[in-house]
Amino acid sequence: MFDILKELIFSSGAVSLTGGNLVMWLVSFVLLYLAIKKQYEPLLLLPIAFGILIVNLPLTFLMEPEHGLIWFFYHYGIEMDIIPPLIFLGLGAMIDFGPLIANPKTMLLGAGAQAGLYVTFFAAVLFGFDLQEAGSIAIIGGADGPTTIYLTSKLAPHLLGATAVSAYAYMALVPIIQPPMMKLLTSEHERKIVMTKLRPVSRLQKICFPIVTGMTIMLVVPPAAPLISMLMLGNLFKESGVVERLTNASANELMNIVTIFLGLSIGATMTATTFLNPKVLFIFFLGLFAFVISTAAGLLMAKFMNLFLKNKINPLIGAAGVSAVPMAARCVHKVGSEANRRNYLLMHAMGPNVAGVIGTVVAAAILLKNLG
Amino acid sequence: METDWSKVFEVFGSGIIGVFLVMILLQLLTQLSTRIIDTIENWNKGEEAEATPKK
Repeated sequence: MFDILKELIFSSGAVSLTGGNLVMWLVSFVLLYLAIKKQYEPLLLLPIAFGILIVNLPLTFLMEPEHGLIWFFYHYGIEMDIIPPLIFLGLGAMIDFGPLIANPKTMLLGAGAQAGLYVTFFAAVLFGFDLQEAGSIAIIGGADGPTTIYLTSKLAPHLLGATAVSAYAYMALVPIIQPPMMKLLTSEHERKIVMTKLRPVSRLQKICFPIVTGMTIMLVVPPAAPLISMLMLGNLFKESGVVERLTNASANELMNIVTIFLGLSIGATMTATTFLNPKVLFIFFLGLFAFVISTAAGLLMAKFMNLFLKNKINPLIGAAGVSAVPMAARCVHKVGSEANRRNYLLMHAMGPNVAGVIGTVVAAAILLKNLG
Repeated sequence: METDWSKVFEVFGSGIIGVFLVMILLQLLTQLSTRIIDTIENWNKGEEAEATPKK
């Protein structure tokens, strides 16, 4: 009897617990708190936090190659590039490109914000990361979770947990991080600029946009194909108006299902041995740097465009060039309406916001082409 | 490991230029396609108006 009890105790995971496991439990509990209590990106943070918790329970072997349950999710979903494109399919079915079609100039703001990403690439190399790691860290500045995961899984899979959590955390923190940058880089007068109403966009124009844009991007930067093709297919489902069931399935059921597998898999990459080292923790700092610089680059791009435009744009909308849809656009609208109550910037900011999604994918594809 | 700075500058420069070129190309194509569609739609409207008998 005593021997059985002794064997049970010594074969349990409890005796194999390490200090690192306990620290990771703490990280998991903090993320659970942020997801449940503060509701910061709960759809992603909750499964990520739970993934961290269970993978740091010794002897469960959930991430054991060829055996562990979550390893299969990770291997087939992320390593084989299935989940991020499916997330993009759902995103495409939810996005409205109308404001971008109505004001195509805002495409440049989506490009401007990506400049911050390359500045971070440079900074990460200066801090001792290799080129592939630097590329994976830089893409955090795009504030686009699926693209970050897609690129990191190709360039630096060992950093996947840190870059993904960092990207989603900063997306959730848009309302805290962006407004000070907006106020710092624009004058009161600039924030008060009222933009003219967007012109109406016909259904045919909305149908043609995903076809023309998708074809162009895939022809020019083929590595963008997995993400951009799914984004544009989802959007075509929505705009065609003839496949309502597919639109709903992409935007709801499919999106929700893959979000569960994505969150769990990302969380499960964050074991104590891979996560708890100064280099990985430094990624959170560089991620914040990337996001701040991208926001600044978008704002400065808008100010630069105003030097040449007859009808001035409100430079705040440049901050929406990062692709945190629609939080960045909402944040622009809020700051704009604080400066001028008559200012309704939401739809104007949605243009650069969706251009930011496209811009981040293009930037990731170029990084992949150069570093992959 | 020694950092290949020429590669760093190449990635940095080609990345920034590449993103801008692609986005400018998309802007021009969007403007062009919307103009073409506008012209076609206006032309169709004109034809429909002509086909409708005046009261």
